Amino acid sequence: MTATVAPPRRPTSATRPARRPRPTYRWSARGFALPAVLVVALLLYLPFVWTSYLSLTEYNGLGDPELVGLAKYSEMLTDAGFLNSLLNTVYWVVGTLVLPVGLGLLVAVLAYGLKGSFWYRLPFLLPYAISGVAVGVIWTFVLQTGGALDEALALLGVTDPPRWLLDAPLNTFVMIGAATWQGAGVNALLFTIGLQSIPREPLEAARLDGASGWTMFRTMTWPMLTPLTTVVVGLSIVGSLKQFDIIWAMTKGGPGVSSETLALTMYKETFVNNDYGLGAAVAVFLTVVTVAASVLYLRRQLSGAKEL
Amino acid sequence: MKRTRILAGATAASLALGLAACSSADDGGGEGGDATLGFYTDKAAWEPSFDAMNEVSGAEGKTLDFTGYSDTTAYDSFIKQSFRTKKVPDLFTWHTGPSLGELVDQNLVAETTDLWTQAEADGLVPEGLKDNYTYGGKQYCVPLNVAYWAVYYNKKVFADHGIEVPTTFEELMAAAEKLKAADVTPFHQMNIIFEFAWFQALLAGNAPDTYQGLQTGDASYLDPEVVEVMDQWKQMIDDGYYNDPGVTTDPQTLLKNGDVAMAYFGTFLSGQLTEVGAKSGEDYGIFPMPSMNPASGGQMVLETGPLCVGKGSENEQAALDYSAWWMSDEAQKTWSDERGEVSFNPHVKVDDPEQQKLVDAATSDDTTVQQRYLEANPLPVYTLSTEIFGDFVTNAPDPMPGLQRLQGEADTYWADQG
Amino acid sequence: MGAVTADRLRKTVLVVLGLAWLAPVYLMIVNAAKTNDQYGVLSVWSPAGLGGLWENAVAAWTRGDLSAGMASTGLYAVAAPAIAVVVGAAAGFAIVALRLRHGFAWFVVIFASTVFPMQMLLMPLFLGYVETGLYDTRTGMILVYTVISVPFAAFVMRNFFAGVAHQVFEAAVMDGASTWRIFWRIYLPMAGPALVAIFILQATLIWNDLLLGLTLTQSAETRPVMTALSALQSTYGGSTMPTVLAGGLIVSVPTVVLFLLAQRAFTRGLALGQY
Repeated sequence: MTATVAPPRRPTSATRPARRPRPTYRWSARGFALPAVLVVALLLYLPFVWTSYLSLTEYNGLGDPELVGLAKYSEMLTDAGFLNSLLNTVYWVVGTLVLPVGLGLLVAVLAYGLKGSFWYRLPFLLPYAISGVAVGVIWTFVLQTGGALDEALALLGVTDPPRWLLDAPLNTFVMIGAATWQGAGVNALLFTIGLQSIPREPLEAARLDGASGWTMFRTMTWPMLTPLTTVVVGLSIVGSLKQFDIIWAMTKGGPGVSSETLALTMYKETFVNNDYGLGAAVAVFLTVVTVAASVLYLRRQLSGAKEL
Repeated sequence: MKRTRILAGATAASLALGLAACSSADDGGGEGGDATLGFYTDKAAWEPSFDAMNEVSGAEGKTLDFTGYSDTTAYDSFIKQSFRTKKVPDLFTWHTGPSLGELVDQNLVAETTDLWTQAEADGLVPEGLKDNYTYGGKQYCVPLNVAYWAVYYNKKVFADHGIEVPTTFEELMAAAEKLKAADVTPFHQMNIIFEFAWFQALLAGNAPDTYQGLQTGDASYLDPEVVEVMDQWKQMIDDGYYNDPGVTTDPQTLLKNGDVAMAYFGTFLSGQLTEVGAKSGEDYGIFPMPSMNPASGGQMVLETGPLCVGKGSENEQAALDYSAWWMSDEAQKTWSDERGEVSFNPHVKVDDPEQQKLVDAATSDDTTVQQRYLEANPLPVYTLSTEIFGDFVTNAPDPMPGLQRLQGEADTYWADQG
Repeated sequence: MGAVTADRLRKTVLVVLGLAWLAPVYLMIVNAAKTNDQYGVLSVWSPAGLGGLWENAVAAWTRGDLSAGMASTGLYAVAAPAIAVVVGAAAGFAIVALRLRHGFAWFVVIFASTVFPMQMLLMPLFLGYVETGLYDTRTGMILVYTVISVPFAAFVMRNFFAGVAHQVFEAAVMDGASTWRIFWRIYLPMAGPALVAIFILQATLIWNDLLLGLTLTQSAETRPVMTALSALQSTYGGSTMPTVLAGGLIVSVPTVVLFLLAQRAFTRGLALGQY
């Protein structure tokens, strides 16, 4: 905390002159930001420091951790399953950006402005309200061999459906489908908030100018949605990299390790295999990748807004 | 709030004190008196059974304050970490094998040698059970429960197809063939949690010494007996003897509905079958798994879960007294009735002839009692086995690469131990 | 008219997609209503009437002892997101309206904390909680749930406020309002729909949390309901699928009701959103 409050660099008056607020707000700004920073530092950063420390140790959960330097990281990188987990994780990130985000946007835009739009969006929000335990059970019904999906396909004449959860990478793809079912509604809700904050006048003016729906969306709505798109995409990247619940409920990473992601590897190494050091190393790797990905994305997206 | 309040009759209490006193040799004085013991378990679904136990033990002034976990992995790490804090659990359930060995090595569980000596003298535990609880010649924890692994079968399916209960492996295979021909899936298996089950059943029956040798590093996964077993298993999968592993409906439902004719499981399945309304002896029966190699004699896998006392916990002495009581006829009768499951205590007859048959078989002279694969093997090897066997159940690949990986992991482990 | 056709097309797409989305919900309800004799025999798609639903719900409620956790969960799911929304909005306000120095860096600091894998934070949190006496207390649970909600709240609010013209702030300053007043009286009310959305999403998240509840509580008074629900599904002696589903259904009712109630807040918020 204190480190960053350090020596205030004098803004070169040439670049940003009167745009800085009067210095009286400096303390006020810190005061408003303090509670958020303080709580995340204590309850999220501090535990993570502990995890980072564990990644440098050999530790089975009992007794005291024993420092081993970077051994756990090299163990992680040379592990045969690591690349497989990494690949599955990439599937998740890309898949989540395409499906839940794309569908969320579609639903938000289609429902926006319709009479009773809330009710059109509701089916998509319901899955988010259902508890994880039940979600796991439902999707097992749907995807197990001879399950609801196979039965439905049989009606369409498909007698030899794929083994949804047994063959890789298909099992990862169908689980992304399950995640889409659960997450699209939230994205739709966030996009809707974005749409609501767009002033009506420019849109009306464009409509009067005879702009078609698609042109209007592309040139007016989409650019103005940017702040919320950033939120949705940023959260999706993070969420997909961390995705755990659905996979754990449906395949536990299996069969074998075929649907394991980095989050699963981390969990299994730590809690199943009791190799806390290795699990922590995967956690740190995962975190660094996620932070890097989101900062890269956010800096590009937010740098414009930053100087508003 | 949920604790059941008991009006402790003076007679019952004094009887109980007598029992407690004789079973704890180093009576630390008043410490072991009335207490509410912090109790943790990963068997969260058993809370009603523990409530029932409280009604009985409450008469002696000791009750459990139940905290249940449903996820074993989360539970294990919670217990381990709790030893770093001042919240050391009074009583908790654990796993036998290397997991308990770890706790013993770290001096985290209270020794129960005196309790075992007394229990053996009183005939409360069967021969051999103690081995599961012995580390360096001393005992730790007491048995919470036991389960025998055997074959559950659907009686109606057997009757419909004129199948007698198999007593040899040949008969078992013949039955499977017959069922298969009639379009009934003979066996249940799953590719998670119990993916090791058929490896255990086949290997223990084919070569009991090799089965045990794997646990000590004296046998190899590449030994011909193991390869034979894998080939047999693969043949059975290829022949369509098992349900599709993509079917994840619970085994009790599949068995009850006749979707599978047989399921190799621990006797904890009895409770789950009762839950879905299947009746022992009417809807289903149980028989010991016949040995793949008849020369092996009978092989019965016994699974047992420990009830442990945290060393240095707040109510350590009271928890030890409770542990002693747990093995008693009174406690075990209540437990067995409550759960509808077999007790380890030979004085207690389980109220289910099907399960009693297993107990009788297990205690007969020509049957060897084996430990379950999950607890008996080193953790890293077991963990890898979940991957290998999970894949094997699903895809029935050539077994050799998997066995080689398992042996590689075992070599590494035993080299570290040496 | 083109607009009418377009609206009709939009509705059609939404209804078709919506029905696909409801199919798993249908499966849940239908199978939660099956008796043990029907489950596994009837196709998962076939309804068996709602006869068994009550029975299964009662079984889940009593066997799972779900009532015990409802009150605690309710408290956590209301208090924590309410605090988090304000704390997060304050951070967003500081960064955007008050132009906190190195605002982007601070924002990344707050946001990056959502990145840490929760499973790995559980054990250190548990140790810390036992040390500080927060373990197994409602205060501790509200605190931790608040904290996990703050980054999301800060992210959404920061971006929402970024869409507010800075003139709004300057005009208020001209009127002589304090920053405190500007925050409470102008910025927060203006963010109605966003605040409601964050509150609902986080309340749902907390309501459905299992990991933190399992790790940081122990007694019946503090344990959230999900720990009880998940116990129904455990490997050893778990309940039947219809019972698990019925339990899942009961526990989901409050969150669904919350979403429905929010519908009013949304329409009201809509008008306020048009500043």
